[in-house]
Amino acid sequence: MNGQQEFENRIAKVRQAIRDKGLQTLLVFDSGRHNFLRMNYVAYLTDFIGVGPEAVLVLPLDNDPVLYLSPEWDIDRAQEESWVKNVQPFENFWNLLSKGVGKAGLIGREAMHVDLHDEIVKALNQAPVNAKDIIENIARRKSGFELERLRQAAIIADAGVQALHEEAHVGLKEFELAAIVEYRMRFLGAEDNFGMVVASNHNQALHPPTDRVVQSGDIIIGEITPCIGGLFVQICRTMVLGQPAPVVHEKYAILKKAMGLGMDAAKTGAPASDVAAAINGTLCDAGYEKYCRPPFMRVRGHGLGCGSSAPGNLEDGNQTKLEEGMTFIIHPNQYIPETGYMTLGDTVVMTQLKAEPMTRTSWDIFVKE
Amino acid sequence: MIFGRHSVLKRGCSTWDKQAMPQEEFQARLDAVRREMARQNLDALVIYGDNYSFADLCYLTNYFPKVRGGIGVVPCDGPISLLLNIGSRDVPFAKSLTWVEDVRASGQVGRDGAELLKEKGLAQAKVGLVDSGKGFPLPQLEEMKGSLPQIEWIHSHLLIQQMRLQKSARELAALRGAGRVLNEICDGARDFIKQGRKEYEIIADIDRLARDKGVEDIRILAGEKRLQPPGSKMSAKLGTHWAVYLAIQHDRYWVETGRTHILSGDAKLQTAYQKAQEIVAKMATQLKPGRPVATIDETARKQLGEFYAIASIYGLGNGVGLSQWEPPFLSEDEARQVGSPSVGAAVLNENMTVALRVTFETEGKLILFGDSFQVTAKGPVSLLG
Repeated sequence: MNGQQEFENRIAKVRQAIRDKGLQTLLVFDSGRHNFLRMNYVAYLTDFIGVGPEAVLVLPLDNDPVLYLSPEWDIDRAQEESWVKNVQPFENFWNLLSKGVGKAGLIGREAMHVDLHDEIVKALNQAPVNAKDIIENIARRKSGFELERLRQAAIIADAGVQALHEEAHVGLKEFELAAIVEYRMRFLGAEDNFGMVVASNHNQALHPPTDRVVQSGDIIIGEITPCIGGLFVQICRTMVLGQPAPVVHEKYAILKKAMGLGMDAAKTGAPASDVAAAINGTLCDAGYEKYCRPPFMRVRGHGLGCGSSAPGNLEDGNQTKLEEGMTFIIHPNQYIPETGYMTLGDTVVMTQLKAEPMTRTSWDIFVKE
Repeated sequence: MIFGRHSVLKRGCSTWDKQAMPQEEFQARLDAVRREMARQNLDALVIYGDNYSFADLCYLTNYFPKVRGGIGVVPCDGPISLLLNIGSRDVPFAKSLTWVEDVRASGQVGRDGAELLKEKGLAQAKVGLVDSGKGFPLPQLEEMKGSLPQIEWIHSHLLIQQMRLQKSARELAALRGAGRVLNEICDGARDFIKQGRKEYEIIADIDRLARDKGVEDIRILAGEKRLQPPGSKMSAKLGTHWAVYLAIQHDRYWVETGRTHILSGDAKLQTAYQKAQEIVAKMATQLKPGRPVATIDETARKQLGEFYAIASIYGLGNGVGLSQWEPPFLSEDEARQVGSPSVGAAVLNENMTVALRVTFETEGKLILFGDSFQVTAKGPVSLLG
C-alpha cells in the first residue's frame, strides 16, 4: 500500500467515526512537539511533522481536509511531505471557524494551551467534543505501511547498539557515548531519538548523559529509540567495559529470564498486565520484590505510537487486550542492589498468536575487553 | 519566526556547573521574584515548564525538563517545590540539576499540583500562573484549577520573563560559552558540507560535532531553496548551495547563527551573501542601550528593500537566552508567533542578548546569515566571538 492509499484509508475510517458520533467536523491539533509519550494526531492523519506552535487539520464530513499551519514558511514542505494537499496559513483557520463548521469534535487537547482552546470555543460558539478516541481506536493496530517504517527503525536501532559496541571505550565521557549512538542512527536516516546512554559501576537509573568519564568495569546501559516517519522503535541493552564481576552475569541472567517469560506472556488476546506479571514474578522469585515497585520500577514496557499508545503501560491492572498489529516495548529493566540498574528490552509486534521482536540484537550482556 | 524540529528528549550533556552558576545566583533571582510577588499581592507563583519551554522555571531553579513538563511552586516565603512529570527513580538525577531540595515525581501534574498547593496552605490564596511558553497541557491545567475552586488565579506570564531581559554577568558568561561552542561547530561544519553528500548525512555529522562538544540540545534547519528540519524525507544530495540555521542550548542558554555555503564560487551568490552579512551588521549597529527596539526592524526594512517581505517570513531576530525566542521581539507580529502578548521591551538595555538574521532568495537560492549579540554601551558584541 502506498502512502496516499494509507491516508485515504485512515481518513475514511475517521469519517465513519465522525458520522457515528454525530459530528460534522473534526479538528485535529498538534503543537509541534512530536513525541511518542504524547500522540501526534496531526502526523498520524497527514504524515507531516510540524515545527511551529500550531497545526490544525480540519476534516469535514464531506469536503477535503485542510491543514492550517504555522509558521507560514513551512507550508511548502507540508505540501510536499503531507498527504493533505490543501495547506494554508494558520490565520485562515479563524476565517473558517467564523463561517461555522457544525458540531465539532476536537483531538489533541493534551497538546493545546488553554488560551487557544478558549479562542476556539469562542469562535465556534460551542465547546468541541473531545474526540481523541476516534484516532486512538483506529491507530491501536499498526498497518502494513506503519510496520514497514517500524522495521526500518528497528534496523536503525540495532545499528545504534552496534555502534556503541564498536566504539565505546574507557576515557570517553557519557555524552560522547550517547553521541556515538545518535550519530550512527542519524547517519542512517533517523529523524530523532528518545535515547539515553549512561555508564557507571553502579547505575541508579537511566537518565540523559552527564560529563562523567567512563571507567574500566563500567556497566553501560542504554535505552535507544530512533524515529522514522514519526514512528518509534525502542531497544534497551547493557554492555560492560572490561570483564564484569560474576555477580553481574548472575543478576543479568534474571533480566534475560524475565524478558523471555515476558515475551511468552505476550499472547494475542491476553491482557497487557500478563506481561508485567511474568516479569515481576521472575524478579520476585529472585528476591527482588521490593525493587519491582516505586521508587525503583513501575512499568515493564509501554506502547510506542504516533496515533495511539495502545496497549498503554505494561503494568499491574492494565486489562487492555493485546491485539494483532499492536507494537510496544517489553523491558524488564531493573535496579538490583548488587549491580545497579541494568537494561534489556525489545520492541515487539503482536502477530496472530504472539509477540515477535522487531529488533535483532542479542539479549546477552555485551562484554568489551 | 524561525522554528526547528523539537527534540523528543533533551538528550545532550546534562550537568550543573556550580562554579559557573552558583546557588547564590538563584537566591538573588528568587529574592527579586518575591519582591515583585509582594508588590502584586501574590501569595504564590505556579511556574510551568517543559522540555520545549523551560526558561522561567529554569531561571529560578536551574532545572530544565528533559521530557514532558512540571511545575515549580513558589510561595511568598518558605521552601519552593518542583513537581515533575518523571518517574520516582528519576528524582535523584533531577536533583543533581537543581538547588531545590523538594523535588517530587508525578504522573499527574494537574492533580498532584493541586494537592501540593493545598499542602502549602494555598487552597484559598491569590496565585500567579506563569506559563510564558504556553505549554501547560489543557487537561492538566483544568484538573489543577478544578481542584482548587477558591484560588484566585492571576495571569503572571510576564513576571519572570521581564526579569530575564537583562542578563547577569554569569548569564553573559554562559551565553559567551555557548557562542564559542557554536562558533566551533560552524567552523567544523564546513568540512562536512560537500557536494554530492546526502543532506541527512551532513546533518548527522554536524549533530555529532555539537553533541561531542557537550551541547544540551540542538536545532538544525537547512536547504538550498528553503530551510527545513532534518528528516528521513530529507534524502536529497547536496548541490552547490546550502543555507544552514544552527541553534544550540549549552549550559541552559541558547544561541543561534545562520550561514550560507556557496560551493560553486558563483560570484552573484557570493555578493548576495556578502550583502546579507552587511545588513545584519547594520541591524546590529542599533544594538545600543536606549535605542528603540523598533529601529532594528526599520534598519532591516531600509536595507532589504524588496527582499524585506521574504526576510520577515523567517523573522529578523529576537531575544535569546534561556529561551530560543524571548523578548525583546522585533515586532508585535514576531511576538505573537510565539504566543507573547507584546514585544516585551520597547527600548534596548545593556546586557540584553539578541539574535539577528537575514534571509532572502536570489537566483532561486536561499541566502541566510545570522548571529547572536550582546547589547553593550559600546555597541554590539557577537556572542560567537
